[in-house]
Amino acid sequence: MSGSIEEFHSKKAGDGYYERLEAELKKLNAELHAFNNITLLNTGGYPFSAKDNLCVEGVETTASSRILKGYVPPFNATAVERLLKRKFTFIGKTNMDEFGFGTFGLNSDEPARNPFNREYVTGGSSSGAAVATSVMKYHVALAVSTGGSISAPSSFCGVVGFTPTYGLVSRYGLLDYGNSLDKIGIISRSASDTANVFDLIRGPDDKDSTSVSEAPKKEKAKKNLFVIKELLKGETQSYFERFCDKLRGLGYAIGEVSVPDIEKAVQAYYIISMAEASTNLAKYTGFKYGYKNSGFEKGYNEFFTEARSNFGVEAKRRIVLGTFVRSSSVRSKYYDKAMKVRALLTSRLSKTLEKGNIIIPAMPILTPKIEEARQMDSVSVYKMDISTIPPNLCGLPHVCFPYDYAGGMPIGAQIIGSHFSDNGVLEFVQEWEKTFKYKFKYDVGAL
Amino acid sequence: MKVGLEIHVSLPTRTKLFCSCKARGDEDGPNSNVCPICMGFPGSKPALNGKALEYAVMIAAALDCKLSKLTSFVRKVYFYPDLPKSYQITQLSDAVGKSGKLELSTGKAIGITRIQLEEDPAKIIRGDEYTLLDFNRSGRPLVEIVTDPDIRSEDELRDFVAELRGILYHIGVDINEELKADLNVSVDGGERVEVKNVTGIKALSDALKYELGRQNALAGKGQEIKRETRSFDEASMKTISSREKESDEEYGYIYETDLTDYDISRLHVPKPVIPGRIAKEYAKRYKASEKAIREQIMLSREALALMDKAKGRHEMNEIIKGIELLKRYGRLQMGYASFEKLLEAVSTGMLIDEKTIGKIEKGESVGSFKRISDAEIDDSIRKMIMDNEKLLKEYGKNNKVFNFIVGKISKEYGVDPRHVSDRLKAVLDEIAK
Ligand SMILES: [Zn+2]
Repeated sequence: MSGSIEEFHSKKAGDGYYERLEAELKKLNAELHAFNNITLLNTGGYPFSAKDNLCVEGVETTASSRILKGYVPPFNATAVERLLKRKFTFIGKTNMDEFGFGTFGLNSDEPARNPFNREYVTGGSSSGAAVATSVMKYHVALAVSTGGSISAPSSFCGVVGFTPTYGLVSRYGLLDYGNSLDKIGIISRSASDTANVFDLIRGPDDKDSTSVSEAPKKEKAKKNLFVIKELLKGETQSYFERFCDKLRGLGYAIGEVSVPDIEKAVQAYYIISMAEASTNLAKYTGFKYGYKNSGFEKGYNEFFTEARSNFGVEAKRRIVLGTFVRSSSVRSKYYDKAMKVRALLTSRLSKTLEKGNIIIPAMPILTPKIEEARQMDSVSVYKMDISTIPPNLCGLPHVCFPYDYAGGMPIGAQIIGSHFSDNGVLEFVQEWEKTFKYKFKYDVGAL
Repeated sequence: MKVGLEIHVSLPTRTKLFCSCKARGDEDGPNSNVCPICMGFPGSKPALNGKALEYAVMIAAALDCKLSKLTSFVRKVYFYPDLPKSYQITQLSDAVGKSGKLELSTGKAIGITRIQLEEDPAKIIRGDEYTLLDFNRSGRPLVEIVTDPDIRSEDELRDFVAELRGILYHIGVDINEELKADLNVSVDGGERVEVKNVTGIKALSDALKYELGRQNALAGKGQEIKRETRSFDEASMKTISSREKESDEEYGYIYETDLTDYDISRLHVPKPVIPGRIAKEYAKRYKASEKAIREQIMLSREALALMDKAKGRHEMNEIIKGIELLKRYGRLQMGYASFEKLLEAVSTGMLIDEKTIGKIEKGESVGSFKRISDAEIDDSIRKMIMDNEKLLKEYGKNNKVFNFIVGKISKEYGVDPRHVSDRLKAVLDEIAK
């Protein structure tokens, strides 16, 4: 292993390291709210955190939802289990948008704060995972992306967010949002740390039927890159163009492709993900775990309706819309059509990816202030996902990494590869890291 | 009238459909065979039991269904306390099998719409002041057999269930205890009425009888038969309106993307055994009663195996008789070599009892296998009658006399009393002429 994991082990954390780490994290967490809870397990190894929608045996797991308050899973998510077996130290559950529903990290009772400036959003839904990574010297975060939940916070918090090919990492133990879209990935401070941890958590799992036995291809960074014309606009455009010039200077050839209907991906994504989410959230009836009503003498309908009033606003919106698009009178109009858009986009992007990797801005805007983001209506928020949705909808591996800073706030780009080209896109970011140094405001746990 | 069925068959797999909990084992006490998967805990995921899929494929093949190349699952969403995930994992358009048929003993074919694999919900136990849930049943594998509305009478319903039971028996599935069905009934001019959750073969027939009577009475009075869901109450033998409306709209079916598509064509399952079809074929080919063959092989693997080996080498009627004897004395496990000996004994017409079978099994001699001819027996009968004319006069009035002759002669020759009885009737008929 190279990178900070090897460095951590060579420096040998001395007595009391984990106690000090825990104390320091708790102090900082009171201001940044990166963690829903800080609980150290398996001390002695390299620290990792898990997004609060990943089950950790014996540790409260709520997906930042009030409806799951008190749910303590009796088992580990496979990805968590694999890191614990390799002697990694679990440090806590990271904050997130409730059930993964959000772009800015604000759909949580106590939203995480951006470590570069607390007035600004962290991005979501893996908000706490990105913040924890941004403040900790030695740490990797297990995060989850459905439509951009790793790229968005990685971009706004200036860290490296990797979303693997769908199926390479087992989803067992993940509190599902959209099962056909959810991918467990890694947020870290360097692509080499990510590559090392990826090798430990990936691979088939009998407990997740959609996990695949194929291994990612062994490959180097591709020199041919393509930008998607329709995604080059907005506040980040000029920064991104300068970045492209830099890449050309580093020997990359950058071509342009046009995907005229790319905004349809956003609609397709929200239809599919809401349809799936509305079925995944059906199980939360306050009946056997999590938030518990008193009053089992009530009729069942009354009982679960009361329990389900504890969902947040965005969760309720997605349940209602998701249930609607599944109903048989409109299914062909929305759900079936969305599936077609998904298939078409996948084949369209795959064609380009045969010739090289795709590079695009992660977000169409610079990091907004929390107050600005709160003013946006939900459709405008959904549109912020225009760049992160295409690779997610198509299950393509991608990495979001910092390429510039604007007014002290990081800006991220995404490199996208074809299915199973996970190593290729990670290699690309490793190459980039040789010429560009990431900035961090904190180095909690430094040795 | 038109009747269609949705039959739920519980599969005899060791473990549940999507987890490794024991599928049976109610003796372990309620809620003891459960895990995060069959309790629907957040984060748990289903993993398909391949054995259950094999059973579903065998059933679909035996019912002449078109097998889906790739089979996939859907979520059927509704809120009910027995449903831990608030959705049931079941199948719809990519069900294991579609467009099949089952042939009744009369030769008429009943269309099979679909064969689908799905999970059982938990068991609800209702008390006066409480409701209990037992999740031991949650996640048990079920196959649902959906028929076209082709059944036209109670007789056809019974025929259908009997044939289906035989087919399932030979696959290893016994529906005698576990049969659960929904019944769709409509009479001419009326709407379709669904009678839900009928348990057991007898109740199914009772429910149809009641529902037909009810609908015909309404039709007779010129009253409207409403489209509705009813349930069958076994105590009163009546169907009762459930006053609940259910439509596919409300289930909001969606692909179960925690499972993949399963390639059925790669499964190697044994060729289906269809006992009704075999009975027809053997009756024709070996000149025997279809009904008698059917009776022996419908619900007996051993009987079918013995018959399959002996057919063509022995008289079918003797094979049937041999199997009948083994069944009577609970000796169907007999090896084929002994069965051949038994058939030899049967062919002599000798009296065979439990002792004889025991001797055959041990390879001991059962006396001479010389066949006593019918003529010889007939002569004895005639002699006996002539010797005692009184007997002839008593014939018809007194059964004892008849039985006395049968007993005496079958003992004298060591011949099966039923055979003597057949001969005696023939002789008497001849004399009466
Ligand atoms: Zn189980």
